[in-house]
Amino acid sequence: MRTMPAGVAASLWALGAMSACTGVIESRSPTGPSDLGATNPGRSDVAKGAGGAGGISNPAAASRGAVPTACSAAPDPGRSPLRRLNLMEYLNTVADLFGTAAATQVADSFPPDEEGGGFSNNADALVVTGLLAGKYMDVSEKLAAVVAARPGTVVPCDPVQMGETACATRFVDSFGKRAFRRPLSAAERTQYLAFFTEGRKAGMFADGVELALQAFLQSPHFLYRVEAGGTPLPGGTGAVASVAPYEMASRLSYAFWGSMPDDRLFAAAGAGTLSTAAGIEAEARRMLDPNDPKTKRTVAGFHREWFAIGGVSAIAKDPVVYPTWSPSLRNDLRVEIETFIDQVFWTDGRLETLLSAPYSYLNGALAKHYGVVAPTDNGFVRVALDPMQRAGLLTNGALLSLAAKPDQTSPVHRGKFVREQLLCQQLPSPPALDPPIMAPIVSATASTRERFAQHTQPACAACHQLMDPIGFGFENYDAVGRWRTQDGKFNVDASGEVVATTGADGKFTGTVELAKRLGASVDARNCVTTQVFRYAAGRAETAGDACTIERMRKRLDETSHDMRELWVAVASSDAFRFRSVTGGGQ
Amino acid sequence: MIKLARRRFLRSAAGGALALPLLSEVGGPARAASPFPKRLIICFSPNGTIPTAWVPRATTPELVLGDIMAPLAPHKNDLIIVDNLTMTAALRAAGGDAHGLGVGCLLTGIEPLAGNQFAAGMGGPGSGWPGGISVDQLIADRIGKTTKFPSLEYTTKRMAGNIWSRISYRGAAMPVTPMDSPADAFDRVFAGDLGDPAAVIRRKAQRKSILDNSLREFDALRRTLGKVDRDKVDLHISALRDIESRLDIPGAGSASSQCKKPARSILTGSKEPTYYLANEKTEANNDLDIPERHQTIREMLVTALACDLTRVASIILAPSRSPIAMSWLGIQEAHHAISHTANVAALIKINQFYAQEIAKLISDLKSMREGAGTVFDNTLIVWCNELGVGNSHSHDHIPFMLAGSAGGFFKTGRSITAPAGTSHNDLLISICQAMGLADVATFGNPKYCKGPLAGLTG
Repeated sequence: MRTMPAGVAASLWALGAMSACTGVIESRSPTGPSDLGATNPGRSDVAKGAGGAGGISNPAAASRGAVPTACSAAPDPGRSPLRRLNLMEYLNTVADLFGTAAATQVADSFPPDEEGGGFSNNADALVVTGLLAGKYMDVSEKLAAVVAARPGTVVPCDPVQMGETACATRFVDSFGKRAFRRPLSAAERTQYLAFFTEGRKAGMFADGVELALQAFLQSPHFLYRVEAGGTPLPGGTGAVASVAPYEMASRLSYAFWGSMPDDRLFAAAGAGTLSTAAGIEAEARRMLDPNDPKTKRTVAGFHREWFAIGGVSAIAKDPVVYPTWSPSLRNDLRVEIETFIDQVFWTDGRLETLLSAPYSYLNGALAKHYGVVAPTDNGFVRVALDPMQRAGLLTNGALLSLAAKPDQTSPVHRGKFVREQLLCQQLPSPPALDPPIMAPIVSATASTRERFAQHTQPACAACHQLMDPIGFGFENYDAVGRWRTQDGKFNVDASGEVVATTGADGKFTGTVELAKRLGASVDARNCVTTQVFRYAAGRAETAGDACTIERMRKRLDETSHDMRELWVAVASSDAFRFRSVTGGGQ
Repeated sequence: MIKLARRRFLRSAAGGALALPLLSEVGGPARAASPFPKRLIICFSPNGTIPTAWVPRATTPELVLGDIMAPLAPHKNDLIIVDNLTMTAALRAAGGDAHGLGVGCLLTGIEPLAGNQFAAGMGGPGSGWPGGISVDQLIADRIGKTTKFPSLEYTTKRMAGNIWSRISYRGAAMPVTPMDSPADAFDRVFAGDLGDPAAVIRRKAQRKSILDNSLREFDALRRTLGKVDRDKVDLHISALRDIESRLDIPGAGSASSQCKKPARSILTGSKEPTYYLANEKTEANNDLDIPERHQTIREMLVTALACDLTRVASIILAPSRSPIAMSWLGIQEAHHAISHTANVAALIKINQFYAQEIAKLISDLKSMREGAGTVFDNTLIVWCNELGVGNSHSHDHIPFMLAGSAGGFFKTGRSITAPAGTSHNDLLISICQAMGLADVATFGNPKYCKGPLAGLTG
């Protein structure tokens, strides 16, 4: 746990941090074993708050400085909780098993997943209650009926030519291996063949297939990623085991594709090439392919959740203040930001570029919105922007609109976005003040900055000085992301200040300067590292993961901060190659 | 034999021919007075209230409702306004966001688990999931054994599962997912048991056989797991056992006058754009269909209660920190955002909308005949909120309102002010007792319980 340099903390106190808000910054929504009501002695969340009043922690930076002591000789995989397929993984897996059309038919049937730590694949959050359990049953029946109507999808033989029993056995073996993502045991083969027989008795061959499919799709070995194989590490305490080859194939496929292994991963598992770091890295590099739509979809999903882009589709603006706002514009903005992130990640990959690129991807409507020369093409094309006005993600219209109010900008929300999303810091809730402080109302007689002046009162300042001075630097962008030099009748003052970071502190003017400074900051590098870890591991980091995260961070530094390398690095990390024999704990 | 007669009446009213063995519990002072089952509906609306517009203008000689409650005026004699309750568990919680704590403690009456899953405390750690069973689920466990569904949960807004969006819990860290898709909710509740009777019987047998298989595999799996993973799997197992135990209970049979299926809504989950597969479509999400969602959920729920498909239900009228902007009322900003402004007029309007929806629910229940009275006579509606005042995130003066007497248990048409410092746990106890759980003496954290709230029954 790293706390703020004393000088910075002291300056917070000087601002009156003691009254209602202690000024503690925590890591963003980490989850740990305690979240399910259990404790896990010996492993504490790295990410837990400092606890002591006045401390500012930046747990995402726990591994900063590459302290060599974090990596001992013995691998430490942290926790290895049992992971249920989340909705996206379930549907992707169904698509790989039965085809996209089948998956699309059932895609709208499910309740949304539980989320933890900002991601929808957090193992500690994902549970199954009555509604979902019933859905699994209903959907398995629906899918089985659809698939059994054209059994060629799953039955690799002709029951007339081969004989029904022999063909049914082949179906159970081949489909079972794909559904459970490992070969069936002899007992399982008998068990699922019995379902075929039961269904066949009541109808045709296809009815046997249908019933067996229903049973496969309701098995825990399909719905969860069960990890029971592997062997305890020699010379260890028995608490850490290797990951069995087929289970490793699933770790890789769900990390990179959000779906089941392909034939090549199954073959690699069968051949034993997934038991070395080199073998795993080779597969990771194969999958990290800009031409692989499954990987692109997963990477896009990671960034969508990290930067909370899902919220863009629900943005509403006041039609009087922003008459050009429309659902169509909103959709264009969302396409723009997703395209921008996608292009930066796959063609460049550097964190600095994400936060400094003087270009974006616009269609005609967006070009008009931003007031730049319209692209001739109807679709989204790369457009150079004024480098004095635009610098990558933070000057993107979708995020500027998201972190704003319906009728005005919001320095608070923009500062909060930087703290929480980009620096992985967690801000405290507003205090319960009496009388309450009301958010300023748009007024012709005061600039935005003046209206938020109330936040410099001691009770507010402890937290708001972490947000507002950053947010003031965004005042050149209105609440729908357009460049402006006037805020009502006032000239925009976009001067701001960053405090409580590692190496990015100081005064600045405008978001371009801010973004470039943050893009080169230690905190942002630690944040992206930690986020990739959380997404790939499906959980918050623990103390045991310090070495894994340190090595990932080292890889980032050694590759000019190429974010793609983090995906390779996490795949060959301790947390990925090994597992705790107690899974999620105790 | 009273029980059997009641059941026969219901089944016959429902148009079904099957009389089932009865397991339902008996209890509560009003039980003997009514041959009909009691029903509980929890209605949650978020972000606190405007106290001055919520409290009655007068209580004597008769109740004069405040501005927010105005839409409920036609039903004022059926209401009890319960003021001055404190959510002590939320105040005592070690960490967590004020909204999330309010939701998490509201129906559980106990502090959430320690943890950091749900962010933002007052400079301290966040919180884990809520720490115990919610009152609706406890009641469902007791009075929902014989119905097709132990309880039905609805929401008007699809939200990822977290401490802000889930109000019901099977136990600590066991959130109950509400139905967000009216179309799916219709299919789940009303589409069962249709078709060729022989096929229906065969499907039941096959379902049972597959459930048995899954349960055997789950049982073998759980034995290999550490406690954290085992707890997770056990929740799934208990859900499967519940499904299995209700396979033989008939669903909604053919319609009759009293138990008439509502129309199937075409609305699905009001969801984020779907990004599964290669489907990169984006879609508008204006929440303009929210009023229609309220209506279709209400129709389905009232029918499910009248048909005795369930006796316990909840509706999340809007989730905590609601992102819904009620543009159909001319309000462009989300409820949560407005709750932190001085725009009192808009907040009153928003809360009036919720009150109006509850008024419609009461009217619809009153329109369903049951014996010499209506379904409403045997129903208790609890309208609740996670905060007192939204802007200050207060956990005292939580605006609770009861509607309906639960079969004559409560004396309605009044407003009560609880003694200072009374925890809302005492109201949760009263709700249990009203629903026939006469033995419930504490609910949630027993430290905050004094006993059933005075002034509701006499």
